[in-house]
Amino acid sequence: MLLYTLTRLAYLAMVLVVMSILVFLVTQAMPGDVASMIAGQFASKEVIDAITVKLGLDQPLIVQYGRWAAGILQGDLGRSLVLEQPVAPILMEALSRSLVLAVVALAVVTVIGIGAGVLAAVRRGRMADQMVSGVSYLGIAVPDFFWAIVLVLIFGSYLKWLPTGGYAPLADGFVPWASHLVLPVVTLVLMLIARIARLTRSSMIDVLQTNYVKYARAKGLPEKVVIVRHALRNALLPTITVLAIDFGLILGGVVVIETVFSFPGMGRLLLFAIQRHDLPLIQATILIISTAYCLANLAADLLYAFVNPKIRHGMGNA
Amino acid sequence: MTALVPLSAAASPDPTPATAAMSALLEVRNLTINYASPRGTLRAASDVSFAIRPGEVMGLVGESGSGKSTVAMAILDLLGEAGRIDGGEILFEGTDLRRLSAGQRRSLRGDRIAAVFQDPFTSLNPALTVGRQIAEPLVQHKGFTPRQAAPRVEELLAEVGIREPRRIAQSYPHQLSGGMQQRVLIATALGCDPKLLILDEPTTALDVTVEARIIELLAGLCESHHLSALFVSHNLGIVNRICNSVCVLYGSEVVETGRTRDVLARPVHPYTKGLVAALPRITTDRRHRLSSIPGTVSKLSGPPDSCVFAPRCPFAEETCRRLPQALRGDAAGNSVRCWKAEALSGTPWPEESTASRPPATPPARTAPLVQVDALRKVFGERRSILPWLRRDGTVAVDDVSFTIQRGEVLGVVGESGSGKSTIGRSLLALIEPTAGTVLFDGADFVKQAKEGDRDLRRRAQLVFQNSAASLNPRKTVGAAMERPLVLAGRQGEAERREMIAALLTRVGLPAAYADRYPHELSGGERQRVNIARALATDPEFVVCDEAVSALDVSVQANILNLLADLRDELGLSYLFITHDIAVVSHIADRVLVVYGGTICEEGPIGRVLRPPYHPYTEALLSAVPRLSGAEDGPEPERILLEDSTAPPGGGGCAFRGRCPRKLGTICDERAPPVQTATDGHRIACHIPLAELAERASVFPELAALH
Amino acid sequence: MTAASPTRAASSRSAPKRWPTSLVLGIALLAPLLVVAVAGPWLAPYPYDEMNIMSRLQPPGPDFWFGTDEYGRDVFSRTLVGTTNSLVMGVAATAISLLVGVPLGLVAGYGRGRTDEIIMRCMDVLMSFPPILLGILVLAVTPPALWKAVVAIGIVYVPQVVRLTRAITLELMQEEFITAARLRGESTAYILFHEILPNIWPPLAVESSLRVVFAILLGAALSFIGMGAQPPSSDWGLMISEARPFVEQAPWIALCPGLAMGITVIGINLLGDGLRAVLDPRNTGGH
Repeated sequence: MLLYTLTRLAYLAMVLVVMSILVFLVTQAMPGDVASMIAGQFASKEVIDAITVKLGLDQPLIVQYGRWAAGILQGDLGRSLVLEQPVAPILMEALSRSLVLAVVALAVVTVIGIGAGVLAAVRRGRMADQMVSGVSYLGIAVPDFFWAIVLVLIFGSYLKWLPTGGYAPLADGFVPWASHLVLPVVTLVLMLIARIARLTRSSMIDVLQTNYVKYARAKGLPEKVVIVRHALRNALLPTITVLAIDFGLILGGVVVIETVFSFPGMGRLLLFAIQRHDLPLIQATILIISTAYCLANLAADLLYAFVNPKIRHGMGNA
Repeated sequence: MTALVPLSAAASPDPTPATAAMSALLEVRNLTINYASPRGTLRAASDVSFAIRPGEVMGLVGESGSGKSTVAMAILDLLGEAGRIDGGEILFEGTDLRRLSAGQRRSLRGDRIAAVFQDPFTSLNPALTVGRQIAEPLVQHKGFTPRQAAPRVEELLAEVGIREPRRIAQSYPHQLSGGMQQRVLIATALGCDPKLLILDEPTTALDVTVEARIIELLAGLCESHHLSALFVSHNLGIVNRICNSVCVLYGSEVVETGRTRDVLARPVHPYTKGLVAALPRITTDRRHRLSSIPGTVSKLSGPPDSCVFAPRCPFAEETCRRLPQALRGDAAGNSVRCWKAEALSGTPWPEESTASRPPATPPARTAPLVQVDALRKVFGERRSILPWLRRDGTVAVDDVSFTIQRGEVLGVVGESGSGKSTIGRSLLALIEPTAGTVLFDGADFVKQAKEGDRDLRRRAQLVFQNSAASLNPRKTVGAAMERPLVLAGRQGEAERREMIAALLTRVGLPAAYADRYPHELSGGERQRVNIARALATDPEFVVCDEAVSALDVSVQANILNLLADLRDELGLSYLFITHDIAVVSHIADRVLVVYGGTICEEGPIGRVLRPPYHPYTEALLSAVPRLSGAEDGPEPERILLEDSTAPPGGGGCAFRGRCPRKLGTICDERAPPVQTATDGHRIACHIPLAELAERASVFPELAALH
Repeated sequence: MTAASPTRAASSRSAPKRWPTSLVLGIALLAPLLVVAVAGPWLAPYPYDEMNIMSRLQPPGPDFWFGTDEYGRDVFSRTLVGTTNSLVMGVAATAISLLVGVPLGLVAGYGRGRTDEIIMRCMDVLMSFPPILLGILVLAVTPPALWKAVVAIGIVYVPQVVRLTRAITLELMQEEFITAARLRGESTAYILFHEILPNIWPPLAVESSLRVVFAILLGAALSFIGMGAQPPSSDWGLMISEARPFVEQAPWIALCPGLAMGITVIGINLLGDGLRAVLDPRNTGGH
């Protein structure tokens, strides 16, 4: 298990390095010249050149990357050109809000998705199964931003039960804080619950047909024990991997959803940065979101290994 | 379906007397089971009746598709959704299980009726420790807490012959060998002191030497616990070893039932006669051909309207095809489902004629066709930038040398992990050897094949074990056979079609099969296609890798005969790889016995089957289940090997970890010397030849050599 | 979970069988959509970009079946014309993923060793970005345009296609009919294209239908945040985005493209499920 963790960490480090290079190169290729943006619209060429030299923008890309990467390792994410302040604190604040959104959404997806999938598999071909299938078709059918608009219309504008957008810090009290989270979370999870439910259903059905489940029944164990102890544990293995991928989808979905709900998180920050060509901010945002995603994948890999004794007790390390 | 019940009830032997019902622990009466499938209802069991008395072990025998497993699962109430019991009774201690509620049946399962399944690896949950899995029935049925169950679990593990019960209880299934896993399942079954064991092919997935140990264990347990058992198996030899009575199924019906000794020694039903005749026995006669049953089992639907075996029966008459047969009993309690039974009582199954065949010429001692020198193969060596991922790899084949003459059949016998398949594949350059050379007709095969020498490829071919996997499912038989011809430069399409038709006819298939897809053929037919494809390039040498192992006995005999005919007619050489010593004795001129990647013994088949034996060969031969009745005298004592503990490798003898005759440290430290006896019979062992020759022959029925 | 067994898939050939309900339903939903995608501009009652300030934000009625938007354009006509956009985006992006991903997957699975290692590590890097973020990253380099969105989506889903193709190839490489082909001395190209590829396409077809759905949804999302189709084109995602400020007064502007997208996605999903059932009768649904 220790060796396995080390291996995964080594891979993670490699991926992060390559990823940061990629992010750096792509943002370099983006339109907009940093020096002229800092200097302002009416600056003379000399001023711009002076800024270029001062920021080291005339140096080879590799040197620039090195400086940028070194800064990141020391916690310095650069300085926003548009907001004219260090990126790190802005980013951390936005990240904390977006993470709350993403983690709550993931928790909801996990609980409801797996529950519905297991129910559908156990009651295969009967009412409950067909209901889960039907509802999951609806969930998959339309994009989350469409659901967002529909939900805002119903619960915000029409019923007026929930705020249609914005954010309230926890300091303002739990209820305002939570009420601002409800609609974004529901929007984020609809499609993913459907996906997880379908996946869990099919892997559960596969596992229910295995010999060891049959043998568990031959031992005279009650169906509940057979399902929970013998089937579910193994059926969840593929689900764990997909949940990590879903966390990436949630992080991506956050970008879209935050615009709809005017939720001041990473997604809005990223779109703002892209519209204003704020290169340091773009680089930092993409890097942080992707790192969060990689960490989620690492967590899933380790959890997978922990649940699966074949990996935990050394049978193949890769 | 309902019409069937009165009909067969009337046809079956008199409604069982009350006394018999009382004395039987399990009685199955007129059981009929159907399976719903996309192609309609399939009959899995019809009018199946038998009874097991306390302490009795009954064998339920049949080939694939006979319905034997279905009956076992029906008793356990584990038929699944597609299977449906459409009639009959299953009486356990006098109570009809079908009348009980599902909950009542469940509480019998694992408690009074316990089961052991075929494949121990898939029957154990990979995510739970084996200790926990053994404890489950105790917790469920006996009200133990998991903590209380722990000492009982260790006791059970010790009882099934596991040496370190505490450590094993805490392991996961994938950490145990196949034999250990099966012991764990047996321990699970014994936990609640059941009355009846349902054993569904419990040793089929295991190696012969492991199988012998498990059978010994089961026989002992049934004896000591006064257990009854239903032993489902396709292997007559094992049934003969462990069962008091036997019930033969064919095409979903019981065709014959009675005491094992009677049924297997003097079978009455034509099918049983054929099955017993088709079983390969140890022999050394090169001309001998096995008896075989022509045709294949057909899929059945609806109630039977004729004798199910009639299409394949050499004794069938018009009557057999018109009327369904009833089971008739005799005074001794044996019954048979054939109206001609008495008339046929003295008639044996027709033998394959050997007279017309040209006498087999012993292979000429000229320049060898295949010459293997110091072959070595290491698998799984891994290099990586991460130091903890680097691995040394495992030695699959170590320093193996042998030759094959033109027209000679060399058998390679060994168990799983012996490296026998690696040897075969290295010979064909499918695996690149780590060291050593393979010369084919004087040329370096591996090197030439790498350079794309198609002619050499053409001359050496392979027949696979898995007849289904070796044919591309998306290509017709004709298309599969055409490629080798195209590669061999046969340009004309008409010429190729003609050649394919001729090849199919040669292996005993209609030429029209060229247009069929592999899944439309039976296993035996697919294996014939595989052989035809191998023959397409007019090869001189064919590697048969477990070519008959996956087939039912009756089909296996067919294919084995075909291979022997082809050898005689085309002068082919074979490398015949198998785990089954009886099969190899039917076809091989010489044999290599391999263990842990090394050759322990080699020589002409007649020499290897007689002393002196390598200790491993002796154990292997003694483990082979056989049909030897009481008239052959008392069975020789079996040599039972320990489960392998130490992995092979390192210095010394590969077999040292399991050798019952291990001398001492010399076996651990020094590689055994190769000692040569007569006729090129060679044994690699530290024990002197003279001492090895002192052992009694495992097969006293083989006459002394001329 | 997508690695369907190729050998089993074949056994569907012999028995005559009914088409599964999901396949029939999927085709029933998609057939009209295809007609609309081809003939949309001719079927539409109004030109998709005809503005009419006099009739802006009209509710659904006999003149405008699904109402009008803020510029008085007919929502129904715009939705019809937008069908082409969505379907082309979905299919074209999937085609790009397949064209790049299948060969890479075949090579990785067949070559194994170092080739495999290099390809898969590259895919790991691509997969370390959440999908939409990778799309944004690709699109942010140059001014947004629809064809760029298509390419971006195509690239986003390459790793999934590579992984699936590689997994099936690896599984097939264990099959003995591949050994048989090597034994005959067949060339690598023959083995890849004549032995392996025919066995890969059934699971790949099922996978592709899913990919088209994801591509349509991702394309809509990109258009929605302004990085895909640009005004005044009639992309569904863009339409929903444009409808947002008026959603309280005129919810129909968003509803019509939303419904259209729902029908498309459900149709393709049903088609995929149906294909799976046809190609692998043993499958229990949703591998």
